[in-house]
Amino acid sequence: MRTAVAAGRLTRAGRWVTVRVLINQIRFTALQAIGLVTFLAAILSFLVISQTVRQLGRVGATDLIGTVIVVAVIRELGPLLTALIVVSRSGTAIAAEMATNRVLGEVTALEAMGIDPYIYLVLPRMLGAIASVAALMIVFDAVALASGYFGAALSGMAFQRYTGIVLTTLSAKDVWLTLAKGLVFGGAVALFPSYHGLAVKAGPTEIPQAVTRGVVATIVAIFVSSAVFVVVAAG
Amino acid sequence: MKPSARARAKSGWLAQAYAYGREGAPPLVYAGIDLRDRPDHPDRRFDLSVLAGTTVVAIGDEDSGVGDLGSYALGLRQPIAGRVEVFGAPVGALPYYDLLMFRRRIGYHPVGDGLLQNLPLRDNVALPLRFASDHRLAEVDGRVGELMESFRLRAVAGLRPAQANEEDRRRAAIARAVALDPDLVVLEAPFDGLTGRAAQDLLDKASRRDDGSRRAVFVTAQDLVPSVRRLVDRVIKLVDGAAVEETP
Repeated sequence: MRTAVAAGRLTRAGRWVTVRVLINQIRFTALQAIGLVTFLAAILSFLVISQTVRQLGRVGATDLIGTVIVVAVIRELGPLLTALIVVSRSGTAIAAEMATNRVLGEVTALEAMGIDPYIYLVLPRMLGAIASVAALMIVFDAVALASGYFGAALSGMAFQRYTGIVLTTLSAKDVWLTLAKGLVFGGAVALFPSYHGLAVKAGPTEIPQAVTRGVVATIVAIFVSSAVFVVVAAG
Repeated sequence: MKPSARARAKSGWLAQAYAYGREGAPPLVYAGIDLRDRPDHPDRRFDLSVLAGTTVVAIGDEDSGVGDLGSYALGLRQPIAGRVEVFGAPVGALPYYDLLMFRRRIGYHPVGDGLLQNLPLRDNVALPLRFASDHRLAEVDGRVGELMESFRLRAVAGLRPAQANEEDRRRAAIARAVALDPDLVVLEAPFDGLTGRAAQDLLDKASRRDDGSRRAVFVTAQDLVPSVRRLVDRVIKLVDGAAVEETP
């Protein structure tokens, strides 16, 4: 909430600098994580689909492969894994950076200059994390769908049949769910580490504790909100 | 409170900083401040007015409370008793965002230097201009260029604080404090570890406004070298929580 209020208070030059910091944040959070996300999406989807096709083939229910890949991989595991990757890379970095800013007196110096630390420190990281998590989820989904085909092909499924089953199962709801999860998970990835980082008071020994608290809180928030999404989407 | 004439002369975001306080009020007033947070304190209170265009230094031992005066002036902390007024505005009573806006009227050099470690010295100096004023980018760049030249920082502008020497860090921190050409500058232990000559130079630069007139400067320190005393209008020593006038 305070970050949203802060966004409305940006000065002209401040906006430009915030965009520059935002681009840097996206470069670190999204671009540098693409390799890892691609690798994990490919492996996960390949394993899940190749095993599932084999088991479903025994009972003649290979048409259910679309439901498995969309519900299990695209809708649930993809966003969760993507968010966890971003937390492990960027959430830790954000918490450590904020805690260091606090310990070195930089947050107080910003406030003394009349600069809202939420504008300068939190806002670009939050926007960057939201954009990055949403973008990485799309990358994850695309790679998972492609890799899923190779898993299905091992059990003899043709490309046209695979795409037909997947496209029939995919719906507009999956698109907005992905975007909504990108927004919520991305916000959590920036918010909790920032909060715990800025809450440091005593000194440098608190920095690792703040990082741990920030990451644990983010993971819990991601899993809880994922459950909330299931309830909302089912309603 | 209505904006003063000075506020009307300025525009945008910075003008809002001038919307608080009273026209003609002293830049900084401490009234009845309790600096000795102890059960046996001798019930002595600290009173001081820093008038426009003057340089006042408060000195005292580490446990005298002198180190708290700067943060009280900025409203970063509240004294347990007494009040602090800056340009007539009670800084302790302003809401958070109003206080943030108001602080843009005050230049501040915290103990150490308060520079952001991940920014080069040039970007540190540019910070208040970028985020606490409504200047255009080109105006910010021009102003930062002037400050880097004036504070002799051009050669080290690209260095991060950890790469620069103590004098350059201090120069950058004071350049940042005067970047918005404030009416009042509060400097906490600004000359520690500097030569008398460098300290003189920095105090002179901190006390001169862009139009050549003098601004109010309030310095807190544990001690003051004789060469700097010559540039100072008043020296106050904190003894048992109260102010004792010393000869500059």
